Amino acid sequence: MAIIGFLILFPLVSAAALLCIRHNLARRVVVCVSAAAIVAASIALVAAYFGYAAAFEFSSVAIDYVCTGLSVVITACIVYYGIRYRNVWAVMLALVQFVAVIVLEYLFAHDIHEKIGIYLDPLTLVMALIIGIVGSGICVYALGYMDDFQAQHSGQKDRRPVFFALMFLFLSAMFCVVFSNNLLWLFTAWEVTTVCSFLLIGYTKTEEAMKNAFRQIIMNLLGGLAFVAALFFIVVNCKTLSFAVFLQMGVSRPDLVVLPVTCLAFAGLTKAAQMPFHTWLLGAMVAPTPTSALLHSSTMVKAGVFLLIKLAPIFYCSASSASILAAIPSLMVILVGGVTFAFCSALAISQSNAKRVLAYSTVANLGLITACAGVGTPEAVWAAIFLVLFHAVAKSLLFLCVGTAEHHIGSRDIEDMDLLFERMPRLARFMMLGIMCMFIAPFGMLIAKWATLVSFVDTHQVALIILLAFGSAATFMFWAKWLGKLAGVAGLPPNQEEGTHRSEWVSIGLMAMLALGCCVTLPLISSYVVEPYLHYLFGGIALRGEAFTAGISSSNLWIASLAAAIIFIVLFAGLGTTKARKVDVYLAGVSVDNSGRTFRDSLSAERTATARNWYMEGVFGEEMIAPIGTICSALVIIIAFAVSAISLPGLI
Amino acid sequence: MGMNIIYIILGTLAFAICAPVLGCLLAGVDRKISARMQGRVGPVLLQPYYDVRKLLGKENASVNATEGVYVTCALVFTLLAGGIFVSGGNLLMSVFVVALSALFFIMAAYSTRSPYAEIGAARETLQVMAYEPMVLFMAVGVYMALGSFNVATLTWAAAPIITDTWAIFVGFLFVLTIKLRKSPFDLSYSHHAHQELVKGITTEMSGSTLAKVEVMHWCENILFLGWVAMFFVWSNPLSWVLAIAVALAVYFLEIWIDNNFARVKWQLLLKSAWIVAIVLGGVNIAVLAYW
Repeated sequence: MAIIGFLILFPLVSAAALLCIRHNLARRVVVCVSAAAIVAASIALVAAYFGYAAAFEFSSVAIDYVCTGLSVVITACIVYYGIRYRNVWAVMLALVQFVAVIVLEYLFAHDIHEKIGIYLDPLTLVMALIIGIVGSGICVYALGYMDDFQAQHSGQKDRRPVFFALMFLFLSAMFCVVFSNNLLWLFTAWEVTTVCSFLLIGYTKTEEAMKNAFRQIIMNLLGGLAFVAALFFIVVNCKTLSFAVFLQMGVSRPDLVVLPVTCLAFAGLTKAAQMPFHTWLLGAMVAPTPTSALLHSSTMVKAGVFLLIKLAPIFYCSASSASILAAIPSLMVILVGGVTFAFCSALAISQSNAKRVLAYSTVANLGLITACAGVGTPEAVWAAIFLVLFHAVAKSLLFLCVGTAEHHIGSRDIEDMDLLFERMPRLARFMMLGIMCMFIAPFGMLIAKWATLVSFVDTHQVALIILLAFGSAATFMFWAKWLGKLAGVAGLPPNQEEGTHRSEWVSIGLMAMLALGCCVTLPLISSYVVEPYLHYLFGGIALRGEAFTAGISSSNLWIASLAAAIIFIVLFAGLGTTKARKVDVYLAGVSVDNSGRTFRDSLSAERTATARNWYMEGVFGEEMIAPIGTICSALVIIIAFAVSAISLPGLI
Repeated sequence: MGMNIIYIILGTLAFAICAPVLGCLLAGVDRKISARMQGRVGPVLLQPYYDVRKLLGKENASVNATEGVYVTCALVFTLLAGGIFVSGGNLLMSVFVVALSALFFIMAAYSTRSPYAEIGAARETLQVMAYEPMVLFMAVGVYMALGSFNVATLTWAAAPIITDTWAIFVGFLFVLTIKLRKSPFDLSYSHHAHQELVKGITTEMSGSTLAKVEVMHWCENILFLGWVAMFFVWSNPLSWVLAIAVALAVYFLEIWIDNNFARVKWQLLLKSAWIVAIVLGGVNIAVLAYW
């Protein structure tokens, strides 16, 4: 309990300190010490509560007032920026939400006192590890990155104190999201993450940054409003503010909670940047890279899928409910997730901007997690948890690598990463490891995808099987060609790795170790963390007292783990020198310079061959297929809301 | 669990010994039959073996230090995929490991930075994207018909799975042409002389590296024919004869297609493979799921 308090409060203290510190060295010390403390505390938390699920009696009127206060601050912040940048929608939505929250808290929920304020279970432990370790790692990385960033934008005001304060505030809010059982606290933390990412996306205050920041805040305020609507329903009809109690009610009678579950799921979908709301996450990449890394891997979008995974038991029970309406939220989540996965994977093929490829890949993988949560069987939840875990470590690794590469080669375009294997040998290998972790057997993401496929087949989700198959094929295409670009070797171009900050190497190394460690220990994580959780979660409903068995047998998991270790060794130790005589590549003439691909043709003229990767804009371009995905998923959401409104008792 | 891994290791060893021999013979037969279809006599049956032996004796020269490592990885993972399959292991795992092997092959070509090899690699990537959905549907169909991904389950099945999955089987035959790199789908590299990309994905591979590619190709062919045969095996021991006969007939069909169709453009390859996958694969899976 004390550790949980520490994890929530300590980042706040660090944030306050960082806000005041203008000296670079002092900031460095504070960030490193705080990050180390958070990492240590989250590991200590896991050690203390390994395999447990616990609820803590903790309630305080003071915290309720703090929540109200935070709502005021959040609204004031959005209204201030909305007025300053003349964005009517943001102001209106923020005010509507504020009024709704105040009405809810003081007129409806005033008499409800939730005793169990804080809880934890193995899923929150996994999330805490991701937030604590990956999140703090990114904060440390940001030290070096922001130094370079400030040097490159020397004309601008140094706003780094605000930046680092926001990063730590974000971590605190995320811890609050995963530990809160009191729905009002959860909601307040949820909104804090929204505003934090708004401020981080708009960090540079350029026109583009502010435009994208407002897109983010408007979409997430819509989700926030849906969250408030769900809270109204829960308070009025279920007479509780406890998340656990609500989930239990949902599991026993899914047909009675259709509307609130739809609303909560909608909030999760907006935060997890599912189509049609994926554009906010794409826009978020205007921010400095550590922000993107934080948003994509350990915070923000993970809050969205966390909420959806929490709802999974209700989705599971709704499938067998007598009422057809009960399955509406589950169907909405499944279809939106599946469509998002297939379309965003295909869209990534047409992108040459590395950060945009990463963004589409994030949205696609979140779609898969969403679909798994919607299916809701123990096997699907197993897959969802592993997708969350592997996505967090591999994606943060990739963002950090791209950020460092960008500062050294001056571009984030994949075409400019040609020969990176020699120009930045260490970084390129880390990047290749990250990419392989994202999409190929035997690394974690693919193992999780494998389990996903098994769970879809077992539940006869034909549409999802088809979406998964085509989405995975597209995934192979866009990752493989990026990987190929990195793998190129020719001559010995100058090493450009010099001058990379130590903090960057430390964080990148940490992420690489985490990615590899998770891949290799996957069977152990499965049997000691995820399976007990599923037993605890589904013991009474899906498993009926029997032990949970994952969709993939443990011997296959061990084979994958072994193969991952071997590939890692090949990547870092096997790709070195050779005794073979070095020859020139074939260039339709006499080679002059291999790395420049110049050759002398039959008329003795010097020519240069060029080759670009293949982006197939004519088939997978954004204007070709993005509207289809957006319209499909928007329709699904609208229909789901219309139908679940019908389910409101007394409406018909 | 331990036994399972031992089976896979034994299976991989057995596959590593038998598949190159069988694959080499198959390649010899292929060349013989192709020659006859073109009105030639053709080389001797063991010509592919002589070719590889000669490649192995060539000077060790390469454009960089990494290409050979990637190709070796590709070969090793092909053998592992075969080992998983022949030891009765998980079909989906076999499929994924083949994809891993394809990735290493693609990376080998990209690592050379030769424009020809790069285009070949890009096309190979496209081909993987084109056939992957149907291959996944094939595995899913087998699972739904059999109740397990484990290939060993076939030997106590009451009936061959082809009865439930014939549409998937036909769809799989379609993408098999891509996987075997036969014309009209030999975009990334071709055994025929009429290749516009020099030698496509293998342009920069020579000597023992190229020999490994050839051996890998033989092994792949045997593995894919194994997947074909799998549809016709059930508890009756005689079914093995039928399965082998069907696999050989399918290979003959592929040779015939190879010799009678001109190479298509990539748009048609992608479109046709995906349409076939969604129509034959999707419908068959829907039928298995709902009826």
